[in-house]
Amino acid sequence: MLQNKANVNAINEHGNTPLHYACFWGYDQIAEDLVNNGALVSLANKFDEVPLDKCKPFMAKMLKERAINLGQDLSKIPFKDRSWLGYKTRSRDAVLSRHTGIDIKELQLVGHIAKTHSGETWRGTWQGNDIVAKILNMRTVTDRNIRDFNEEFPKLRIFNHPNVLAVLGCCAPKDPPDLVVISQFMPFGSLYNTLHGESGIVVDQNQALRFAIDIARGMEFLHSMEPMIPSFILTSKHVMIDEDLTAKINMADYRFSFHEKGKLFSPAWCAPEALQRSPEDINVRAADMWSFAILLWELETREVPFAELEPMEIGMKVALENLRISIPPGISSHISRLIKICMNPEPGKRPRFDMVIPILEKMKLSSV
Amino acid sequence: MASPNTSTLSPSKKKDESFLEKIGTMGRKKKAKEVSELQEEGKNAIESPTSPQLPDIGPEGYQLADYEERSMIEPTSRENPKLVELIKVLLDWINDELADLRIIVKDIEEDLFDGQILQKLIEKLCRVKVEAREVTQSEIGQKQKLRVVLDYINHILGVPPVWSQQKWSVDSVHSKNLVAILHLLVALAKHFNAPIKMPDNVTVTLLVIQKVDNILQTRYVQEEITTNYDDADGRGERDAFDTLFDHAPDKLNVVKKTLLTFVNKHLMRLNLEVTDLDNQFHDGVFLIMLMGLLEGYFTPLYQFHVTPTTFEQRVHNVKFAFELMEDASLPRPKARPEDIVNQDLKSTLRVLYNIFTKYKSTHGGPSVIAQ
Repeated sequence: MLQNKANVNAINEHGNTPLHYACFWGYDQIAEDLVNNGALVSLANKFDEVPLDKCKPFMAKMLKERAINLGQDLSKIPFKDRSWLGYKTRSRDAVLSRHTGIDIKELQLVGHIAKTHSGETWRGTWQGNDIVAKILNMRTVTDRNIRDFNEEFPKLRIFNHPNVLAVLGCCAPKDPPDLVVISQFMPFGSLYNTLHGESGIVVDQNQALRFAIDIARGMEFLHSMEPMIPSFILTSKHVMIDEDLTAKINMADYRFSFHEKGKLFSPAWCAPEALQRSPEDINVRAADMWSFAILLWELETREVPFAELEPMEIGMKVALENLRISIPPGISSHISRLIKICMNPEPGKRPRFDMVIPILEKMKLSSV
Repeated sequence: MASPNTSTLSPSKKKDESFLEKIGTMGRKKKAKEVSELQEEGKNAIESPTSPQLPDIGPEGYQLADYEERSMIEPTSRENPKLVELIKVLLDWINDELADLRIIVKDIEEDLFDGQILQKLIEKLCRVKVEAREVTQSEIGQKQKLRVVLDYINHILGVPPVWSQQKWSVDSVHSKNLVAILHLLVALAKHFNAPIKMPDNVTVTLLVIQKVDNILQTRYVQEEITTNYDDADGRGERDAFDTLFDHAPDKLNVVKKTLLTFVNKHLMRLNLEVTDLDNQFHDGVFLIMLMGLLEGYFTPLYQFHVTPTTFEQRVHNVKFAFELMEDASLPRPKARPEDIVNQDLKSTLRVLYNIFTKYKSTHGGPSVIAQ
């Protein structure tokens, strides 16, 4: 695993790294290898224990020396609650195993946050963590829906990218029948909210570019998956902002195959071909790039695209009457050129996210 | 001496050719005729035992006992366009249902009497297997089969035996009695909510001959095949629209106008305008657009047919619109999608009225509607 550049400091739900386990079980060889490859001896787990606390005094001494030789800082690195990223690792906790849902009784739902077309969102805690639970808006929940739901949600548990907000788990309580999607609580809500709501966050040019880069990285990761996760629509409503102002693609906004069939609530962000033809018949990655162009426009102008029109009007006009966002004269020429490139009418001529990221990074450097 | 020969050679050759040709075609014609005759003969040979030979009863065959009745369809009423349409609609329906089985019914009287098609039809409609004899040749066999099939149908339809005996007895169906077969098919179509619109009030004039005191008396009887559509379907209890249609046709126009204003107020945003409620909603497109406008979403164009050309495409659209309505917690329309596609005004108005009731206040529509 080391050879394959696995993250040696990856943690599981207890905050333990491989080194914690190696120390605990007294595998001195393995522990040494891990340290030699950069495993941190002073990374605390959830219970504020570093790997060195776990092993026998002799071994601790040896590892400590080795770490110092390698130039590690021995001051304790506190356990970070944000490190949900490690979750995908092997888990002894049955609750987290790949296919089991979470029991609704384990959730303490405290406050109602929002009700949208797709469902009701509640805030709460689960195993001591701040979470939001989205109860999908369904006319009725059939057994078939539950089966599809349980089949589809595990692939949304993507924990290995900082710009992708994973779905932690899901539950499908029987009484009353509901479908619930659980993800980490994001204090600033969606990017849409941050830009157009009353979040009190000042998004300056630099921050806007940071958001854009975050989103591009997240999308690049999602596009690198094989097979790709279907029916995720990139809009500013589906991007969440973390407390450190990192933008994350919210997997909880994935559209389940049985959910909101035949309806598109945010056509303003969709490419014209995505409004006319089914995802199987278009280049989804290129269509996402169009959505990204709209996001760039939105970040730049701080306006809601086609704010004065109804979704039905937007959809019909974008699809059939060539309605496009208009780029105001005031914005930076670099951004306006990038927007135009990303929304090339020819889907095949739009760039990929891995091509866009360096451009954005360059812009960010020059803007500071 | 050779010259005349050579001179006549070419025309004679031509003649020869044409003559040969004639012989050829004649031969072919003759052959074709023979073939068709042979086919006909073969067909007769195969079919004759299966189709009941109408006994050449002669005058004495018509001898009736006292008070006995005979009835026959009055020939002109067969030409009745409504009856012709009904038969066509029913045939289309049967052929649609049985298309998978590669069964094509051409003649409603000639093809249904032996119970074979009826068996397949009821099996398809109920998704069951009816235990009856396979294709039979003998009249007795056919009648037995027909008895089994009809018993099963009567059971499904839940009609009392007396009723079915009167309307479609084994004997009447087997003797290719059009009226009996029609009664049976109409009852089936109604029971299974066939996606067809049967013409209303179809009647057949029967000539009934009765012998009373050794005198043949004839009279004409009107036999009702289909009645008024809504009374017959037995599905919905009567609502305001029935009353409106029956008792206040003048108010109907007020309602139509109100709905038209409401619909156009929203469709206007898409630069669409409805001028006629009767026939602009049947393809479902406007219904879908309306739901999207009222509920705040776009319906991707691959989800429905923007310019539907076939019946199936229209039904697909209307079904989709119905789904959207149910999602918006509107009551499930009483009408079938097919009713809308068939431009049934009452069904269309009911659907639109449902939408109007829900959204008139939130979207500031006109607030008056006649009761």
